[in-house]
Amino acid sequence: MTTDGASTISVELRERLVPIFGTDIAIERLALLAGGASKEAWALDLRTPQGTRQLLVRRAGGGVIHQETLSLEDEHRLLEVASAAGVRVPKPYGYLGEIVGRPAFVSERVSGETIGRRIVQRPELAGARAALPAQMAEELAKIHAIPAERVPFLGGVGARDVLGRLTKEVDRLEDAHPAIELGLAWARQRAPERSETVVLHGDLRVGNLAVIATGLGHVLDWEFGHRGDPAEDVAWPLVRAWRFGVDQLRLGGVGDVEPYLERYNALTGRHITLASLDYWEIVGNLKWAIGALTQSRRHLSGQQRSVELAVLGRLAAEMEFELLHLLERAG
Amino acid sequence: MQDRPNAAELAQAVREFIETEVLPQIDDPRLRFRALVAINGLGILEREIALGTPLVRREVDSLARLLGHADPLPEDLEDLRRRASDLNRELALLIRAGDIPEGTLAHLLATVADKLRIASPRYLERYR
Repeated sequence: MTTDGASTISVELRERLVPIFGTDIAIERLALLAGGASKEAWALDLRTPQGTRQLLVRRAGGGVIHQETLSLEDEHRLLEVASAAGVRVPKPYGYLGEIVGRPAFVSERVSGETIGRRIVQRPELAGARAALPAQMAEELAKIHAIPAERVPFLGGVGARDVLGRLTKEVDRLEDAHPAIELGLAWARQRAPERSETVVLHGDLRVGNLAVIATGLGHVLDWEFGHRGDPAEDVAWPLVRAWRFGVDQLRLGGVGDVEPYLERYNALTGRHITLASLDYWEIVGNLKWAIGALTQSRRHLSGQQRSVELAVLGRLAAEMEFELLHLLERAG
Repeated sequence: MQDRPNAAELAQAVREFIETEVLPQIDDPRLRFRALVAINGLGILEREIALGTPLVRREVDSLARLLGHADPLPEDLEDLRRRASDLNRELALLIRAGDIPEGTLAHLLATVADKLRIASPRYLERYR
């Protein structure tokens, strides 16, 4: 996938930053941190009269944007609304429009560990791990209290809509996946008929948090924001893939579920049950199994050639295996 | 008949080259990660060459019993794979229609475990 160099975008980028930071600015450093088909992330050090600011520029990649993700403009808007609601997010500074033909926004660049395996293992992060469960519950509680009318662009879905979307994605794979079908059949039969619909982060888990010594620094990666059942968001970090090998600690390899759920319920006045988390954990495994297969198809179709995406197609079996074990336990 | 190295030996040679000669030269963490993924991909290929055929036969055998088919198993590997694909489609359609054959969960647990023996044997160990 083609990626523009820093010199290609720096002139237009600087122009777009003037309305936000003033005319007396200079780009000291601009380096690509991650570039894929859908999104680029640029580290930007910007000299301003107040000193050098550490910024992050999120910009669309050259490929087709994933259907289920927010546009960069909407992601920036969601960040603004979340920030105003007191959620710990990198401060958004502004949507920049198109930079050399691709939309982008600029935010604060935060420090902290984001690599899941390190967060669950590193001895120096033991204190952070102890603090994370309550802090994750607190951030989720704040996110779920965001008034939906402030983010009208978010799609709203209950369990049946989630399962409908997943079924459509399975049908787009050319081969059959009976383990996934069994999970979908189980989940359809037990789908909650009615539930509250709130603003969801959509991907809040270890790996999408900037973790510092005291625990949760910032909540990152808002592109999967949508509306739905709050239990969907609360159960997502339980999915085994997000425990990064520390399987016995069901909450993201960092803690037990019960205190996390109690904290969330105490803060929100909701009564989400462990049984509801069991349900959504199964749906979460379905989501990620289908997601992995779908991503490998992006490689196979030539949409985005990548060894990483290719191998992901084989790793979907891990999520299938976990799914089957959860189904066996659920009966 | 091709001369040696055979397919498994060739995959192993490429994997060892990336591991011992390429990986130590890479500083960029993103490129390093992709090199590790490539090594993993070659490991999957080596295991599939070594174990693939008997595992496909086992899957087809189990699917045929689950679905009540009595026809003999094909000998040719490509025919076996096609049969596995057809029978998986048949099973998936039954499940979708709510007509789940008795023994489906046990069959799937064994079959997906077999997939992991090739794709991710260390992950399988974590369920012991």
